[in-house]
Amino acid sequence: MDMSFREKSIWISLISTLLIFGGYFLNILSLGGVSAEVSQSATLGLFLRALVLIIIVEIVFQGMLAISNRKEADLGADERDKLFEYKANSLGYVILVIGVFVTLGRVVFLELNPEFFEQSNTFNIPLLTAHILLFSFIFSEVVRFSAQLYYYRSGH
Amino acid sequence: MSALPIKNKIRELRFFAEEMTQQELAELVGVTRQTIMAIEKSKYSPTLEVAFKIAEVFGQSIDEVFQYESS
Repeated sequence: MDMSFREKSIWISLISTLLIFGGYFLNILSLGGVSAEVSQSATLGLFLRALVLIIIVEIVFQGMLAISNRKEADLGADERDKLFEYKANSLGYVILVIGVFVTLGRVVFLELNPEFFEQSNTFNIPLLTAHILLFSFIFSEVVRFSAQLYYYRSGH
Repeated sequence: MSALPIKNKIRELRFFAEEMTQQELAELVGVTRQTIMAIEKSKYSPTLEVAFKIAEVFGQSIDEVFQYESS
């Protein structure tokens, strides 16, 4: 497969995001049965681990890619790269906005109907509101990367 | 996805320019080789700026390099 430097770079971001944050969300789901105090401190640890891991993975792999494709890396994004990035960003933005509104709706609903608070977290996910927002952000990133890769393959 | 209505003679012009490679053309125009490849296959329509630059490389006018084929 003939891929440009940018396309390879997006593949690295997509795979690392899916693996690291996919693992993070699976771990969060598994904290469902644990007490609130324990699960909240575990969540912080897991989040920091995921954050540090994604920074390291991105620096190492993107760095290795840039070194092995120095000419293309120096060239920067050309007009086709920018167009695909712009189109994909619009899609990702829509996903993020939906996530933000779902979160806002949940916060307002629970504020007005506090009796539903217990039922609103069936899986006992720690810091649920923050996790809905985080999931929206990560999902919007995955959509953004996937859309860019789709445009590179389809050409439009 | 179907090809775009803007066709071009880049492949032919490269041949007559001593078989200029896509990489050489890309460097002269300031885009990636994959972008030149996509333009050549009519999978991507370049901006006017890049279209003018490509035409300039071959010493042609823009309409000699690119043609719009309405369906």
